[in-house]
Amino acid sequence: MQRHQSRRRRRRPNRLKRNVSKLFASPLQHTFDLSAEFRMDRKQYCVKLSVQPSRGLVDEKFIVLVQNVSPGFQMTIHALHKCEDGHSYEAFAHYTANATGTVNVSEDPSLGGTYSGVEQMGLLWSLRPVPGTKPGLRLRKVNVQTPMEVTISVYQGHQTEGFMDQVPLVGVLVERWYMAPRVRRIPITENGLTATLFLPSGLGPFPGLLDLWGGEGKLIEYRAALLASHGIACLTLDYLTPEITMETGKMVDSQYIETAYRVLEQHPQVLGSRIAMLGLSLGASVTLKMAVYSQVMKLRCVVCISGCHVQPIDGFLEELLNFCRINSETKTRINEEDQVIYHDLLLPIPTDPALKVDVGRLQCPLLLVVGEDDQNWPAYESAIDMKEMMEKAGNSHLLTVLSYPNAGHLIEPPYTPHTLATAFLSVTSVKKVMALWGGETVAHSRAQEDAWRKTLAFLRENLYGSSNCGF
Amino acid sequence: MVRAHLSVTTLRKLIEMKMIPCISVHRNLTCLHHALGGIRWKSSYRQAPLLTAAPARGLIDEPISVKGRFLPPHCPVTVCAQMHSEDGDLWEAFGHYNTTSDGTVSLTRDHSVGGSYLGCEPMGLFWGLQPAPGARKGLRLRKKNVETPFVVHVSLLDGHVSPSERQSTELAAVTTERWYMAPGVRRIEIRQNGVVGTLFLPPGPGPVPAILDLWGMGGGLVEYRAALFASRGYASLSLAYLGHKDLPAPRNRINVGDSYFKTAFHLLQDHPQVCADRVGIIGLSFGVYLTLRLATQPDISPSCLICINGPVGSTVTLSDADGRTEQFESDQKYWVFDDDGYVSFKALSLPANLAPETIVKIEKLTCPLLCIVGEDDLSSSSIECANLMEETLRAAGKHQLFTCLSYPGAGHLIEPPYTPNSRASLWSVKPVKQITLWGGHLASHAAAQEDAWKKTLEFLETNLRC
Repeated sequence: MQRHQSRRRRRRPNRLKRNVSKLFASPLQHTFDLSAEFRMDRKQYCVKLSVQPSRGLVDEKFIVLVQNVSPGFQMTIHALHKCEDGHSYEAFAHYTANATGTVNVSEDPSLGGTYSGVEQMGLLWSLRPVPGTKPGLRLRKVNVQTPMEVTISVYQGHQTEGFMDQVPLVGVLVERWYMAPRVRRIPITENGLTATLFLPSGLGPFPGLLDLWGGEGKLIEYRAALLASHGIACLTLDYLTPEITMETGKMVDSQYIETAYRVLEQHPQVLGSRIAMLGLSLGASVTLKMAVYSQVMKLRCVVCISGCHVQPIDGFLEELLNFCRINSETKTRINEEDQVIYHDLLLPIPTDPALKVDVGRLQCPLLLVVGEDDQNWPAYESAIDMKEMMEKAGNSHLLTVLSYPNAGHLIEPPYTPHTLATAFLSVTSVKKVMALWGGETVAHSRAQEDAWRKTLAFLRENLYGSSNCGF
Repeated sequence: MVRAHLSVTTLRKLIEMKMIPCISVHRNLTCLHHALGGIRWKSSYRQAPLLTAAPARGLIDEPISVKGRFLPPHCPVTVCAQMHSEDGDLWEAFGHYNTTSDGTVSLTRDHSVGGSYLGCEPMGLFWGLQPAPGARKGLRLRKKNVETPFVVHVSLLDGHVSPSERQSTELAAVTTERWYMAPGVRRIEIRQNGVVGTLFLPPGPGPVPAILDLWGMGGGLVEYRAALFASRGYASLSLAYLGHKDLPAPRNRINVGDSYFKTAFHLLQDHPQVCADRVGIIGLSFGVYLTLRLATQPDISPSCLICINGPVGSTVTLSDADGRTEQFESDQKYWVFDDDGYVSFKALSLPANLAPETIVKIEKLTCPLLCIVGEDDLSSSSIECANLMEETLRAAGKHQLFTCLSYPGAGHLIEPPYTPNSRASLWSVKPVKQITLWGGHLASHAAAQEDAWKKTLEFLETNLRC
């Protein structure tokens, strides 16, 4: 493997009054020390780099354009992101300028790097921890009120490493926002809830959505913030590790979820008759339970991502988690890389109706999003069984399944970097394990993009369209 | 519970058919909104009307694409923009449109048939912003704090209405932000060697070309154009020279001279992030005189100059040593008042009225000069001065350095695009409230700003980059 180590040296012409040892505090400047000698490439200041939009939503595409280089000029376009926990992520790709001295990432192929081919958003979805970072990290935004900042730079030549030791030709800063302008974030603590409500900007009122995440617990806000940026009032709910559970040690019951639903339903800026529910992983299990069995919740539609309908019908969280815990003792697999595969915990799909949600009783449209390489949850097998159940019951017209070959468990908003395995502490375990999620990066990234677009269309159609539910 | 099947439009039709008493319509509407959750679209809609604006967070000179979707076909709608200035005044603009057969309205494609602007004007909602009815007189929309954006609320209203009816007719809305500073641009206050200014640096390792930014007799420190240049990749220093607390007193006089401007130019040129041989100067109004005067100083070699609507000389002498100037009051003999009592300063810069010893020796210029003129400029004799500049350069055999852009219907304040022109605005409050005339007709001025900015960036690209 060739190592491209072209260390660029730039020397400034003699200028008496210049203070070259000044350091500048900026996302780019901290990466290099101007007191070193530099030789100025006289064409360097000609290179133009633009990323449009420079401030976009996280699910918006951008156009990366490099201009004013010589035809055939070889360059590496590099993306750098320092996340809130201090770890750095990078992506890079090799390009060769065309006859007009231009590279357009949305039209021209990458010849190598962390992605190849024509990939307009490759610089984001192929982000990975920089060399030397400990394994098992997952890139997630905690504070959704500030943007994710990505520095996009152009380096001379086709390089694969040592970016931090060099000065790029040019660089720009790009902001990626989870919250559109004037989306409002409202912490919800009433009635013992641990939740956050995101309201779209505008007069409203708006359709609503209850958003649930998975087995790690905590209050995860970014998907709800993004959905609010698309016009849906979204309440994200911590149901595994809320204040009340942390204080009492007791898991919440289904009334806790119904309370959250009521908060949404009665909010003056929410259309009470147009509320959806969305869950990922364990959250999808809870979502299916509530959608079918709750007397209080009248949902317009339901979205389950990487979910499974297998769970004890009686009881709620305690019973579900116990069920998983018992099965984990015999059905957990560990692969050669010491990564833990929970995929078999809920397999085989039981025939006993007491062990799976009776989706044949569902009265509203259901969208299932499934990664066929999911190593954590048997989402694919579960989807097949749910389809059968609904066909038998005669309500399969309500079902839409989006099934993605080579996509894994963590199907997130588009351009979120794919992680194969990460350090995972579920509420049922005492120690962190390296959980295998599955998925091949390119296919998983395509799946995220496609699933998000279709999820938004599904929500929009069902939350705004005329009622076709049985109530 | 009544199903939500009545839209405002249907209600209006019912009123016309006298099926609902007119008096209680308003109350019924409110009840409808409460009982049905304020649904403002027909049940026959598959989806609610959707309004999008891209980019939602853009730079001030970036066009926005505003689109409405999921509307009934061939229906009247109003697209309306509202924003509060930093002083709290409400500004608004609106256009009346008819949706096409596919139920959409697109401001980049469709024609406004009424409102603040007519015809196909993708950015009309922004350059057409005007103070809302009942606002104070003499307002001008300017951003003081460039680190935050202008927040413009864009809404889609049912029917051909005015923005005051937004509460009852809004179908969809989106909030946009308009920024002067791109991400990563750094704002640095400069109080060094007597120089009072603000430096804006683009992100990136540099070095970059630079622009010295000069404004007019309004004084103070106007940062937004320099911030925008930095967002476009140029280091830019906006320089104060009059009416700033950190400058030598008194505030109503120019107390700095040639050495001040030279120091500022060198400060910018010598900055480690700046390509020393690629520094330009831009001036508006009195800033034009300062630009030309600085450019002809020994030891000052800018790469290019941009002069917008300004004089080639001054009615007051700008001294060198201590910087004191004569009183501005001697100017008042040139003030012309119209029937409303608004003052025009235009005669002040008529070449015949300029102090001859102040007229800049333009024949000494050695770099390209872009001259921008608003033909309806009521504040400065821009055309006459531009002609004088051209003649002087031609006589010196340097005509190839000169380019002039002349815009019919444009006024004095040719600023970055998509910001509204003020034909007149408050100039001073002491000893009396005085409004001054700038000139410019809204639509033609907007077109001029858009074209002038584009040509300005191209001119800078050619002369400061490669």
